[in-house]
Amino acid sequence: MIKLVDLSKSYSSGKVAALKNINAHIKPGEFVSIVGQSGSGKTTLVRLIIAEEKPDSGQIIIGGWDITGIKDREIPTLRRQLGVIFQDFKLLPKKTVFENVAFAMETCGFSNKEIKKTVPQMISLVGLKGKEDRYSHQLSGGEKQRVAIARSLVHKPKLLIADEPTGNLDSINTREIIDLLKKINNLGTTVVLVTHNKDVVNSLRSRVITLDSGQIISDQEEGRYLL
Amino acid sequence: MISFFRIIKFALQGVFRNFWLSVVTITMMIMAVLSVTILVAMDYVKEATIASVKNKVDILVELRFNAGSDEVEGLVIELERLTEVKSVRVITPQENLEIFRQRNQDSQISRALDIYDEEENPFSYSLAIGAYDLSQYPQILEFLNQEKYSGLVQVSEFDSHEEFIERINSIAEFVNRYSLYLALIFIAISVIVIFNTIRISIYTRRDEIMIMKLVGAGNSFVRLPFVLESVFYALAAVLLVAAAVYPLVSLLQPVLNNYFQDYSAIDLRNYFIGNLLEIFFYQFIALALINTLSTSVAIRRYLRI
Repeated sequence: MIKLVDLSKSYSSGKVAALKNINAHIKPGEFVSIVGQSGSGKTTLVRLIIAEEKPDSGQIIIGGWDITGIKDREIPTLRRQLGVIFQDFKLLPKKTVFENVAFAMETCGFSNKEIKKTVPQMISLVGLKGKEDRYSHQLSGGEKQRVAIARSLVHKPKLLIADEPTGNLDSINTREIIDLLKKINNLGTTVVLVTHNKDVVNSLRSRVITLDSGQIISDQEEGRYLL
Repeated sequence: MISFFRIIKFALQGVFRNFWLSVVTITMMIMAVLSVTILVAMDYVKEATIASVKNKVDILVELRFNAGSDEVEGLVIELERLTEVKSVRVITPQENLEIFRQRNQDSQISRALDIYDEEENPFSYSLAIGAYDLSQYPQILEFLNQEKYSGLVQVSEFDSHEEFIERINSIAEFVNRYSLYLALIFIAISVIVIFNTIRISIYTRRDEIMIMKLVGAGNSFVRLPFVLESVFYALAAVLLVAAAVYPLVSLLQPVLNNYFQDYSAIDLRNYFIGNLLEIFFYQFIALALINTLSTSVAIRRYLRI
């Protein structure tokens, strides 16, 4: 699903190395946690995978598509094949829950009929039935993240990338969001969870890739939080 | 087609859900449209004033005392044949006498008539000659200066007329030249105001644009609703100014009538009614183009994600 080959990225004209020779292969259907302390390169890795930035060297292959030198006009096509959730939710503030979720389908060109059918199902799946007409400022942090998850899944991507999805949530909401991600993974979606939450990682009992100073220091099939 | 309707839907949502931002943006555009409309009104008043002054200018030709009505009629026919002559009005000795009495009724000058008998009239025929253009008066004067009319025409106001005509022409030229500069300054200010208003509006919503991009929206899918939204702002601003113009000029018209002492000279109300569509259609097109361009430029940097 994701193949990273000798991937490197630096900032400030090469003075600050964010990622150094990263090699990893994430298979379809896996639940992989990428862990590391602040500044270890986790977020840079996510930015490279969603083509928000381009690598200095190496290769990124997603679903067989080498996106290393992806053209600007191809980026929307890539992002429509991924589901991404962020720590700060990134909901459209002037759209309702329904509209936020529908937006991902609208960008993909789904018909109104399909949208009207799929969006309520997805909202129901994340436990927000009855809150379709609320705006993001009328929701709690956990609810906002559920909307973001629904939006990231509504167009049925094969790969879901969750960048610190529980960073702004309390422990109860964290537990609920992680359970939801596990449920999504069980339904066949590959999940890449980027986090520095030790408890979450240890409870998952799945593959853990540990980053430190831009390098992979550990890659365990049923790993634990090492740092 | 689906995308087209979605773009319209997003644009309308953008206008109404960012209500106060829309109000501020439309207000700034109203200022710009109002400035240009005032400029159009000023241009009309200027043109109408100059035209009115020009229409009032004619050459008053005094004929000799011994000129008979047949000779006067002959001269009028000759004058009317000239391509430069728009109108020739004959003022009879009796009319001249009445005009003199009327103008000088409160003055000592009227007593000059006392030396004549009741039935005596010291005035002769005169002609009021109007030209199509102020610059044509010298040719008409040249025509009247011919030797064959020396026994008939006694022109005493040639010099002052020429001077007056020159002054009017130079004032018209001056006003036209500087009103063009003024218009350019007004338009430049309006464009700068609109461009910056749109930039601020886009800046305020930059996160929204970035989120759309991260979710997978293409550049056009993000840009077009914003462009359309700015066209809606243009339409709203122009319609609101157009709606306000009639009551405003209706208030202003009596003031103009009073100032110019002539009800037909400057009819701002009728000018706007007659040219309403033209004035505001062109303003809408111009504003929509400026908005489209400003939005496209302002949004570009936030699409690079």
